[in-house]
Amino acid sequence: MMLALLRKEMLALIRDPHALAALFVMPAVFIVIMSLALKNMYAPPVNHLDYSFDVREHTPLAQRFVQNWVATHGTARPLDADWQAALSQGKLAYVLVLESGLSEAFVTPQPPSHAVVRLLTEPGLSQSAVRTLQAETAGVVGELRAVALTASLGLMAGDDLSISPFMASEVAGKVAIQPNAVQQNVPAWLAFGMFFVVTAISSLFIQEQRDGTLARLVSMGVPARQLILAKALPYLAINGIQAILMLAVGVMLMPLLGSDALSLAGIHWPALIGMLASLSIAAIGFALLIACLARTHAQANTLGPMLNILMAALGGIMVPTFVMPAAMQQLAVWSPMNWGLEGLLTVLVRHGDMADIVPWATRLVLFGCVTLLLASILFMRRIKP
Amino acid sequence: MLDIAGLRYCYPGATHAALGPVSFSVQRGQILGLLGPNGAGKSTLVAHLAGLLPIQQGDIRIEGQPLSAYRRLDPTRIAVAPQDYAFYPMLSVRENLECFAAVSRLKASAARAATTRALGIAQLESHADVRGERLSGGLKRRLNLAIALLARPELIVLDEPTVGVDAQSRSFLLETIKRLATEGAAVIYTTHYLEEIEAIAGQVAILHRGKLLRLGPLSSLLAEGASHLTVGFAQTPAPDLLDHIQSFGTARLTDKTLRLQLSTGVSPVAALTAIEACGTPVLEIHAGRYTLEQLFMQLTGDPAETAP
Repeated sequence: MMLALLRKEMLALIRDPHALAALFVMPAVFIVIMSLALKNMYAPPVNHLDYSFDVREHTPLAQRFVQNWVATHGTARPLDADWQAALSQGKLAYVLVLESGLSEAFVTPQPPSHAVVRLLTEPGLSQSAVRTLQAETAGVVGELRAVALTASLGLMAGDDLSISPFMASEVAGKVAIQPNAVQQNVPAWLAFGMFFVVTAISSLFIQEQRDGTLARLVSMGVPARQLILAKALPYLAINGIQAILMLAVGVMLMPLLGSDALSLAGIHWPALIGMLASLSIAAIGFALLIACLARTHAQANTLGPMLNILMAALGGIMVPTFVMPAAMQQLAVWSPMNWGLEGLLTVLVRHGDMADIVPWATRLVLFGCVTLLLASILFMRRIKP
Repeated sequence: MLDIAGLRYCYPGATHAALGPVSFSVQRGQILGLLGPNGAGKSTLVAHLAGLLPIQQGDIRIEGQPLSAYRRLDPTRIAVAPQDYAFYPMLSVRENLECFAAVSRLKASAARAATTRALGIAQLESHADVRGERLSGGLKRRLNLAIALLARPELIVLDEPTVGVDAQSRSFLLETIKRLATEGAAVIYTTHYLEEIEAIAGQVAILHRGKLLRLGPLSSLLAEGASHLTVGFAQTPAPDLLDHIQSFGTARLTDKTLRLQLSTGVSPVAALTAIEACGTPVLEIHAGRYTLEQLFMQLTGDPAETAP
């Protein structure tokens, strides 16, 4: 009996193109679009921007500034006469103005009365790129001022006063890879897609109620637990297929589209499977609850996706939580999708193991159990003679 | 086979009982036509037999066993073909039958045999691989019936099984249902179509507002019209006609139609003679037997309903 019910659910799903699109195509498309769209958010392309110098003082120090900058940012475009218009129209990303008096200001112990290096950016340049350019400009200014000051004091400090040997930037933990847009978006949209089983589950469930098929099954003596299980079990497999597909998109398709690839090297596979299973339990429990709450297709098709989108917006799927203000970040922890996302990031980005996913997996499984219990109560009430 | 005694059901929050108390029996090989307008309580009765409503008051027994015990033993011995197309539209005819055969607890080989048999009974062999949603209305009805027959039930409850089908499919369905009764099943057949009841039901139960107004063999119910005389005139008769015939029974004159309920022992011939003597030309006369529709109207005061 159970096999027949499972087969029926699978055939119904396979023959529902809308549900298939929602489960497989939509999250894959989101991964591609959002990974490409947010690529620069994780690595601002400041080294490849079109820029110019406006050098108003032709001294060795100013020339050295230009040389240092060109070494890391590529050759500057010649400065046009109407560079300010080009800048405001976005034809140039930024212009560095080295004012006259730069060398004198660098060797004077007191701060200058006006800025001698000015960074002018086009209005559309992202804040992260602007901040990176500001930091890099400050770095070059600091280095050259140190060179100028030590020379003016007659100290033998050598020619290289770069500050970079004094500092290092490292990523903490077990991770061997740098997070990128793909690394963030694959787990995010995978979690989102897994929760979208709500449309497929509720669609057939409501049709069964409307057509009297559910009443017929009950009348034929099919136990309620089998009816519920037959609805839940196929979607564990569906969620598994979703996971394989979305990971494949990240690993194989994204590099072909010129993006970074999702790296699975060195991840803890049992932890990944554990997270996916927990996420699936939560998604199926939630979907069954919505299916039991809704009375019509219109209700299910509104309520399920609407709650999914809310959970996604709140949970860091659409906008990563680290760019949210603190208050929103506190709200995000209430979204089951956030638990799924954080758990998957723990495995995929932070290379966490089973112990590391426990907080997220536990919440998801509890959420799944509670929603499944509520769904079962509603279901029993609905079919109770 | 089926014995219902004092069955009464009131939906939560309702002030009046939707059904009952009603009592009747159905024997093997018998077709009971269950007739009643919307809200008569037919669906409530069917839902009880399908195990979808609890028994609040009264008793339902099958083969002497309480319904719940009988259903526990084997729920598929009672089959209900609901009014809706209760199958999966995205599955083919065969896939639907295989699914419901497995749900009926038939072993794999028995399920295959039952599927083949049901396809044959409903003459759906040539449509076996067509999805349910692509079938015509008549074929959908056949599939709905075929599913009910998979486990060879002993009691078959058919809730308006011919709604929305063409004359050919209706005739096929009625013949199939008659054959099921001939083979020994007890059949309860609810419908709005009075002519279907007249065509296949040996027993008729008329429900109205939850009450059983009449129950008995179709022939005896129709014979209740033996003391009933209806006369159609060419023109509206004079008002004093009623004075002349009041000694024959209770009369009612509506425009050009006179309905006369004859008193016991009164001959319809004598009454007709008196009516003719009044001088208004008579166009038509009905006497001696109700149609089911007339009986229905007589009992319920409503025009007989027809399906949309």
